[in-house]
Amino acid sequence: MNSGSGLSLQDKLNILADAAKYDVACTSSGVDRKGKKGSLGNASAAGICHSFASDGRCISLLKILQSNECVYDCKYCLNRSSNDRLRATFTPEEVCRLTIEFYRRNYIEGLFLSSGVCKNPTHTMELMYLSIQMLRTEYHFNGYIHVKAIPGASNELIEKTGYLADRMSVNLELPTTEGLKELAPNKTHSSILKPIEQIQSGIMDYRLAVGKKSKMERHSGNRYLTDTIFDHTPYERIEERSLLEVQHLHLPSSGTVSPFVPAGQSTQMIIGATAENDFQLLKTTQTLYQRYDLKRVFFSAYVPLNEDAKLPSLDTAPPLLREHRLYQADWLLRYYGFHAEDLLSPEKPDFNVFLDPKCDWALRHLELFPVEVNKADYAALLKVPGIGMKSAMRILQARKRSILDFEHIKKMGVVLKRAKYFITCQGKMMYHIRMEEDFLTRQLIGEDSKTNWAIDNPQTYKQLSLFDDMSLTIPPTVEDTRKSIGGQL
Amino acid sequence: MTIFTCNDGYEDMMTCIYDAWSARLGHNQIRLKAEPIGNLELFCEYRHIEKDPEKTAKVIRSIQKKISWEAYQMVYRCAMSSHPNKLDAIYRFLILGFAYGSSVTHMLKETAVITVFEINRRVANEAHLSIEFMRFSNTKENILVSHIEPKSNVLTLVAPYFSDRMPSENWMIVDDARSMAIVHPSDENYYLTPLTEKETLYLNTQTDTEDSYAGLWKEFFKTIGIEARKNYKCQRTMLPLWHRKNMTEFR
Repeated sequence: MNSGSGLSLQDKLNILADAAKYDVACTSSGVDRKGKKGSLGNASAAGICHSFASDGRCISLLKILQSNECVYDCKYCLNRSSNDRLRATFTPEEVCRLTIEFYRRNYIEGLFLSSGVCKNPTHTMELMYLSIQMLRTEYHFNGYIHVKAIPGASNELIEKTGYLADRMSVNLELPTTEGLKELAPNKTHSSILKPIEQIQSGIMDYRLAVGKKSKMERHSGNRYLTDTIFDHTPYERIEERSLLEVQHLHLPSSGTVSPFVPAGQSTQMIIGATAENDFQLLKTTQTLYQRYDLKRVFFSAYVPLNEDAKLPSLDTAPPLLREHRLYQADWLLRYYGFHAEDLLSPEKPDFNVFLDPKCDWALRHLELFPVEVNKADYAALLKVPGIGMKSAMRILQARKRSILDFEHIKKMGVVLKRAKYFITCQGKMMYHIRMEEDFLTRQLIGEDSKTNWAIDNPQTYKQLSLFDDMSLTIPPTVEDTRKSIGGQL
Repeated sequence: MTIFTCNDGYEDMMTCIYDAWSARLGHNQIRLKAEPIGNLELFCEYRHIEKDPEKTAKVIRSIQKKISWEAYQMVYRCAMSSHPNKLDAIYRFLILGFAYGSSVTHMLKETAVITVFEINRRVANEAHLSIEFMRFSNTKENILVSHIEPKSNVLTLVAPYFSDRMPSENWMIVDDARSMAIVHPSDENYYLTPLTEKETLYLNTQTDTEDSYAGLWKEFFKTIGIEARKNYKCQRTMLPLWHRKNMTEFR
């Protein structure tokens, strides 16, 4: 192993950005903060992307590792201790200078600091804490900071870091305990959940101290929905718990409460390295939102980096369409009032390759459709494929004064391509359409097949063919085999 | 048909609206157009309107008072657009606005409203993209300079954001297409100023070839993309080619 002393800043940046790029969640969202004279930076709750890399993912934050030295040996990870790689560690000054100079030139919205486990978790966390402490106090940086909490680090360090960062996250890595035992032998779910719980309790304390509700804010449209995953959780009552914990509040001495992780915490899971199905993943996601009040759960399609008997082979393509479907479903949970159980079930544990989760759900619930655009409430409009939060709101506002027709809602942003099968305007559908599951499925699949194929096969071109099946293969039936033997096919 | 025309400035347009309205020719008998006009139409009378600060103030006050602040912002952004019919669209929108009051912004069934809504949305989106994709370079005097060539006139829309983001830095944003600039001295208010030819020439000689952080950023940008997921089509969708002209990482 190379220890990498005497590296230039450019070399270090290359090594530590390259090692950090597989982390997802490069968002700068969740907190609004005004700039102030004498410091540099502000934050905007919607988040600001500054560039898009060659893989089409947004670059919002300077995503780097503090160090890529690691004592752990997680099978899937590029920086595992058994890999022979050039190792480097940033000093706090280097992190600060890079962040400040990039920020001034409007390259980035802030810093995303993660790290391999250098010596031990507490030592690593301390290095990271020193970096962001220097950034906030000596360099007067007022922009966005996202820090990974290292499981196993001391509680005190995680707490001190939380008072400086906007968002913290702990990687769940894999959704099941078995998967974790298999691929990340040094990590356990209980050690990962401990810092998540600590940060959650810190966030609740802070929120109560400044007079907010203990739970994180969700999308404003959710107040018109009755039964979202955030409304009643099957787990402990967070409200009651938070009341009990008020006595542990860190009451401010100077009058103002310093924010603790104001943009909330997030986590990420690897998709496709182990054998979980989509239903397990989505259930885990929902549980994380309900039990730990996470702001976001991110999914990362497994990109094979290491060769190992326990991992998929090196030529496996990253499951991009599956990742896409999971994100679509994640949005349905957080913004549309769906539950994991509505979308999938143990009998049907995986998403439809051909249809997005909302279309798929709508086709299985044709008894609820068509919906009358001029009468239906927000919740009913949201369930229509092709209508999102914005267009639903616009419809509600516009119909106060006039009766709407298809041409009007089209201009408002409704995707009629999908919505036309599920809505009526003044009692009429757009065309004469049979409300029949098989017919509608055929129609909808025909319209989306190209996009779906492109998601899973980015940057490839193929010859058009009369017998195009868009590479979504259907295994031959017994009859086909018989026919082909008989020469009929 | 009478067509009222004016220069493509905000004051000119507001004065034009005032004069067109008070001409009392009937809303259906007139049209408004920002210059340049291009081909002239037969059977039309053209009236050029010069700007007048008093009339401008009256129009602005009426929109804010009789309609709403939200409607005023829509009108302002719409006026910053490069859409050929923006001025007429604003006029039609205001006719409805003065009749229905603040609820007009939600009456998306009306063609006049949806047109302004759409232009406004485009300009707002472009302003947001400019905030995201703007790149500053550091000159020897430690001044941050950025060059942009937006389709809409977004300078005044992005300036408040940057003044909040970097209150204690010297920076300026130069619109090369319109020869205008926002200048922000450290710890002071920013101002909008037209640029002379001499100033433009001077600014164009100030390149960032010696800026080491620009080099670091380019390398970072190359490194951060994942080879196995590369997807230039998606990249072009999110970051269209015409934005890239002045971006450090694509030069």
